[in-house]
Amino acid sequence: MLMPDIAMAPHTLPTQHQFNPYTENGGTILAIAGADFSVIAGDTRQSEGYNIQTRYAPKVFRLTDRAVLAVNGFAADGNMFVKKVKQRLEWYRHAHGKDMPLRAIARLIQTMLYARRFFPYYVYNILGGIEEDGTGAVYSFDPVGSYEREACRAAGAAQSLVQPFLDNQIYFKNQTAPPDSAHPTHLPLPTVLSIVIDSFTSATERHIEVGDGLEMYIVLARGRNLAGLEGITGMQELTTTQDGERVFVVRRELKKD
Amino acid sequence: MFLTRSEYDRGVNTFSPEGRLFQVEYAIEAIKLGSTTVGIRTSEGVVIAVEKRVQSPLLESSSIEKIMEIDTHLGCAMSGLTADARTMIDHARVTAQNHAFTYDERIKVESATQAVCDLALRFGESVHDEEAMMSRPFGVALLIAGVDELGPQLFHTDPSGTFMKYDAKAIGSGSEAAQSELQDKWHKQMTLREAQILTMRVLKQVMEEKLDHHNVQLAQVTPTKGFEILNEVQLKEIIDAM
Amino acid sequence: MDHFPTNWGRPRHEGFDAYATYPIHERPYNGPKDAFAAGVQRTQQPIVTGTSVLAIKYKDGIMMAADNLASYGSLARFKDVQRLHSVGSYTVIGAGGDMSDFQYIQKLLDDLITDEFTAQDGHELGPVEIHEYMSQVMYARRSKMNPLWNSLLIGGFKDGKRFLSYVDLLGTTYTASTLATGYGAYIAQPLLRKAVEGKEDTLTEEEARKILEDSMRVLFYRDARSINKFQISTVTSNGVWISDSIHLDTAWSFAEGIRGYGSQTQ
Repeated sequence: MLMPDIAMAPHTLPTQHQFNPYTENGGTILAIAGADFSVIAGDTRQSEGYNIQTRYAPKVFRLTDRAVLAVNGFAADGNMFVKKVKQRLEWYRHAHGKDMPLRAIARLIQTMLYARRFFPYYVYNILGGIEEDGTGAVYSFDPVGSYEREACRAAGAAQSLVQPFLDNQIYFKNQTAPPDSAHPTHLPLPTVLSIVIDSFTSATERHIEVGDGLEMYIVLARGRNLAGLEGITGMQELTTTQDGERVFVVRRELKKD
Repeated sequence: MFLTRSEYDRGVNTFSPEGRLFQVEYAIEAIKLGSTTVGIRTSEGVVIAVEKRVQSPLLESSSIEKIMEIDTHLGCAMSGLTADARTMIDHARVTAQNHAFTYDERIKVESATQAVCDLALRFGESVHDEEAMMSRPFGVALLIAGVDELGPQLFHTDPSGTFMKYDAKAIGSGSEAAQSELQDKWHKQMTLREAQILTMRVLKQVMEEKLDHHNVQLAQVTPTKGFEILNEVQLKEIIDAM
Repeated sequence: MDHFPTNWGRPRHEGFDAYATYPIHERPYNGPKDAFAAGVQRTQQPIVTGTSVLAIKYKDGIMMAADNLASYGSLARFKDVQRLHSVGSYTVIGAGGDMSDFQYIQKLLDDLITDEFTAQDGHELGPVEIHEYMSQVMYARRSKMNPLWNSLLIGGFKDGKRFLSYVDLLGTTYTASTLATGYGAYIAQPLLRKAVEGKEDTLTEEEARKILEDSMRVLFYRDARSINKFQISTVTSNGVWISDSIHLDTAWSFAEGIRGYGSQTQ
């Protein structure tokens, strides 16, 4: 045997502290697609560990009149990513003379995320809006760009609390339809809005990283009336063009403890 | 006239005192030596047709390729120094594929045309003391046909990098006569079939040889079937119907 | 052929960027790349450090405070260091973390202000612009795995608007009406929030000053890396003002009365 004493020596290398370029900033986002609308929401708390950094840091952004992007994870990456997506949307507008369609934005986001496969943006994205065919749509992504179109998705700190609730309320999982009837495929806007609000008040109760404020973006298909938004107070319209899709934002307080 | 020209037509990047780029103008002249190429847009689709000059009975006419596919919804016909078109179409194809990859949608006809034209004025270009990629302007003009969300469209590009949208356009040696014929015959309600026959008629008028299915080529882009080059049987049928 | 138009007209090596066309965080590095490049040391940990910086909004603008200590580990190494720095006429920046990195940032910002001044183009950088610039610099450096090891507070007042923000070594940013870095985030932030939130438009300069002084005193009692000598800065419509060093009056006699731990037997 060759030098048994060295071979037996424990492999203890001096531990090197490596700079960690990532952190988690808490918060939760979610989006639900209706037949002719889409709702995209997020809380506004930004935290690190047990510290609340700020009670108002937006995680949901209007990209175009028909696309809204929610970003959750490492806030610095998130802000940079949104900035770059917006830049690409403007370049596209200049090159092709139109707003980028929703599914094109979804693919763009995949290529942008995957381009950073080996130093990822530590960000979970949910893209909501209206497709070219006028249907409400939600796309969800992982940090390296895997994506799919879905009817609803929650992500972030309270994903594990909110997603099962959505599975039950939106997809009717573990619910049996009454005899001679079927579960609806799409829910009406007022139902979706109350599910979103309930999701966030519940997540605020049970998760320390969720709270402070709620921002809900509502995107309506071209020509759709405002039915379902009558009772909503403090709603603000963000639409920039005439006769197209319309975007609204609703802000609500959440508990701050 | 020619004296002043000779002073300023050497450098590809040198304006003449009258503000002209002679090399670009000469390149445009080169198109007029090319075979006649015709394109017609209708609401049902776009038709493009070219004359193939078969200089020798020993020449295999199918080897003359003057209509090329850019993408499933985009095609292109050329006139002039056709070898130059390879660079442009190669770029158009890559741009179209890259667009589909990045945006999961088909590139617009105008965007593909713009991409090709972006190449046109890159001759003599270099930064720092690097070699320029191209030494002279392209000597070819293109008719780019395609269908996108704005419907069937036809674009014309020339060596200056200018592009314009047309309902019907002729380029190449017989273009003057062909263009005035198109101007007479084109109308908004034209069907694809009528457009196919009109392109053949126009080519027939300006061609020196007798037109048959060996010395012309015809392609079309339609919303349903995209780009397709018509085969000899289809071509013969149109020529017979003419 | 290169089919990507964004590369056209650019030199085919990335060492030259005459038109500054790259975003800051992916600008090509033009410095020497020699055989020893791999041996270049990056900041892996802070060495000489400053502790908390506090800042709040009040009626007339913003107010910021930081003590004068730069520690070498647990050694109180430099006791007359200024950690508040004015940037142009509308902004003040306060730094915790590595002091040599902060000195580099001061140089960066001073150069930026000089460049902007010499342009004489009618533009003046306000706190919003300084914040955006610093967040890009900090994010760029973290993305190169070579961070500037600081937590920065940026405060200012321009065009009738106050501005207060945080940027750190990860490029994380946020704004709020009360901010605190380092140990202050644990000890002072709750006090500041209680005293300031909802009163941003009514607090007078005297009240704001008292809030910060009290918080600095608590920090001195609780933070072993702090010192009872600090500076206060205000930015209002009258511009940036940074005070001389202030000595805190502290009382320790109460310590005698504390029972249950320490050296007392009863």
